[in-house]
Amino acid sequence: MPPSSERRVILPDGVPLHARPAGTFVKAAARFGSAVAVAANGRRANAKSILEVLALGAEGGTELTLSASGDDAADAVDELATLVAQLA
Amino acid sequence: MHGVATKDGHNGYVGLVLVSHSASIAEGVAELVGQVAGPEVPIVAIGGASDGSLGTDGGKVLDALREAAAGGGAVVLMDLGSSVLAVRAAQEELSSLENGRVLIADAPLVEGAVAAGVTASTGASASEIVAAAQEARSAAKL
Repeated sequence: MPPSSERRVILPDGVPLHARPAGTFVKAAARFGSAVAVAANGRRANAKSILEVLALGAEGGTELTLSASGDDAADAVDELATLVAQLA
Repeated sequence: MHGVATKDGHNGYVGLVLVSHSASIAEGVAELVGQVAGPEVPIVAIGGASDGSLGTDGGKVLDALREAAAGGGAVVLMDLGSSVLAVRAAQEELSSLENGRVLIADAPLVEGAVAAGVTASTGASASEIVAAAQEARSAAKL
């Protein structure tokens, strides 16, 4: 089994995971070799797919669950959690 | 692989060529992609006939594909009917070397272009960008 990691993070108020923030998030996820997923509102998306991430419809203040599986899973989840918290 | 500035003036990112019947559609999609994907990916928007009415200008399409082939390469997305025919006609005018640098994505224009633009902005190859665009054919919205 490859290493896996999971973490929850809240989207800042007033910052939906749409348009530019979604692009920033997906680009960051794409830098990791691990499979990375993001879940919100009972749906789960491949964090490297902009169309899946946009389809989450995550509004500001929504809790996201980030999970990753692969050699850099812990780094992926840490870096993305930090990025989400800083989205503006 | 990430984009690196090169001697011949392109920035190393594979670009997008968007072909629509309507200049407004092509430019609007380009604006949306730029907002989601960021400014690095070169985007050429081609829409409308040569007299400005709705339609497709085959000459403009061919020029755009030639220019993209000479630069960093591109993935082409188009809307419907004669846009598709114009792109296919332009492909026939290109050399095999040029055709290897300009790939066509069979995908819905808006969704495919957004997926392609974000993927291109990671420094992906043209074939990886085509694959991302074509995922838009089956991506659920609801």
